[in-house]
Amino acid sequence: MSRALRSYLLLLKWQALSQKPILPLSMAVQIMIAIGFVIGLSFFYPELSSTIAKYLITGAPTIIILMIGLVLLPQIVGMARKEGTFDYMWSLPIPRMIYIAADATIWVLVALPGVIISLAIGAAYHGFSLDISLLSIPGLLLITISGVLLGYTIAHGAPKPEIAHLITQVLVFVIMIFSPVMYPVEQLPNWLVQIHNVLPIKYMADLSRGTLTDLDVNLGLAFIVVGAWCAVGFVATYFLIKRRR
Amino acid sequence: MLLKINDLVKVFNKNILANDGISLHIEKGEVFGLLGPNGAGKTTMVNQIIGLTMPTSGSININGIDVVSNPDYARQNCSFQSQTQVPIAGLTAIQAIELVGLIRGGNNIEVQKRTKQLIDNLEIGEWANKMGATLSGGVRRIVAFCMAAVFPGSVVILDEPTNDIDPVRRRLLWNQVRSLADMGSAVLLVTHNVLEAERAVDRLTIIDQGKVVGTGTAADLKGQDEDHMRLELVFEPGMQFSEHPDLLEHAVTSRRRVIGRIAEKKVVEALEWAQSLKEKGVVEEFFLGPTTLEDAYVRMVGRTDVVEITEGDIVNEQSTS
Repeated sequence: MSRALRSYLLLLKWQALSQKPILPLSMAVQIMIAIGFVIGLSFFYPELSSTIAKYLITGAPTIIILMIGLVLLPQIVGMARKEGTFDYMWSLPIPRMIYIAADATIWVLVALPGVIISLAIGAAYHGFSLDISLLSIPGLLLITISGVLLGYTIAHGAPKPEIAHLITQVLVFVIMIFSPVMYPVEQLPNWLVQIHNVLPIKYMADLSRGTLTDLDVNLGLAFIVVGAWCAVGFVATYFLIKRRR
Repeated sequence: MLLKINDLVKVFNKNILANDGISLHIEKGEVFGLLGPNGAGKTTMVNQIIGLTMPTSGSININGIDVVSNPDYARQNCSFQSQTQVPIAGLTAIQAIELVGLIRGGNNIEVQKRTKQLIDNLEIGEWANKMGATLSGGVRRIVAFCMAAVFPGSVVILDEPTNDIDPVRRRLLWNQVRSLADMGSAVLLVTHNVLEAERAVDRLTIIDQGKVVGTGTAADLKGQDEDHMRLELVFEPGMQFSEHPDLLEHAVTSRRRVIGRIAEKKVVEALEWAQSLKEKGVVEEFFLGPTTLEDAYVRMVGRTDVVEITEGDIVNEQSTS
């Protein structure tokens, strides 16, 4: 077994054990959010057709993943920063990105049940069928890894954990209200459309829609843009955790 | 020599001089103390050795390798006990110790054997299978020590390892620190507990405000106090004197206690003075003895607000040379 793989598995065990007390609760909360999202759509849109429901529900994975990656993760990593966790973990003889990989694996596991349940219940509740392609696996993985890496960028890039916490508060608002996930992009003002042409949120939603349904989206462009943001998150995280004070 | 630090300077935010030209070296098999008051720059120095902090200038070598440009080498070769608590809330003590042993490159059997040995020697068996979150601060710190000692590197850095630990286990821990050196590691022990350090280290450096103010064995550092004795006075409850005579040098006052140096030629005079205080009912008892490292420390650091006195808190400063 290579040293990197051995380190990864050992850290995965460490992280899994560390998260064990809150892992079931985290998953339960994510599942409840997913179910709440599916059912809550009917309150937003009383006259919801199954076509619109399909569009909205297949955007749910993006919302769930971004809530975990850009909100929950920076808050938990921020707490760990405050407690000096990284002063210890970074002193161990392991490449730091391996630690991130192990930690990210746990976050993927936290996100996964909510994503699957929101899709399954959403389809059944709102009466539409999914058209799941094999590309949904790399698609959803790419969304999750991008979300997690961008979350690390916020968590380690903010000068203080408190600032990371504040950023996450703003992001909740932006993701829920000002992103073309809960409604079509055409409903946004032009200037916000221009911004979303660069941000990954719209493309993440396209990735899940394009690989889980027969909705017509530019899947190639979505992979490229989300992939680019994933690379940005990777490079930023790499340099942020490698730097010395 | 195993660890060599030369003219290490660290400036934070362009104007905070945390380390100001620190040089020291530690040999294989040596327990080396790094002493200094809070804020002296001890942890900053340690963080530069293991690559958490970038030196402004100066060099750090381990086994002849420059670890400023090669921090991975430092982490491979240094085991580290952080001053902050280790992140083991969801792990049992055994899981935490064994995981670090395996991460540091030990194999399963030797790591399990060594973990059991450390747990037995430090008498923490009753907590071995308890989750980190439920352990007291002292036990967690012992576990953190075990994590540094389970598969020790050629350099073992212990930052305030005895904080929160009860007196019995402190002694056990010092034995384990010594055996790390006997196993061939160079041990860098960071502490502000002078009394314990005197018994535990082979050599030491005292730093204050980022600068080295003394290096050597405890005997070397006490050398300048050779022609002095240590006088300790314990007040009757409610009694204190507002001024002490000049013959009591570098005096430190706690609530009921004053400790100071007496020049040997003034010992008789000092004893008469102390005896008179006792007869007047001001002083309950007094002790005269050889100077300790603590006295040398106070002299070098030049302040009295930094010494741990065994009884009571320091409430005021009588004389600072």
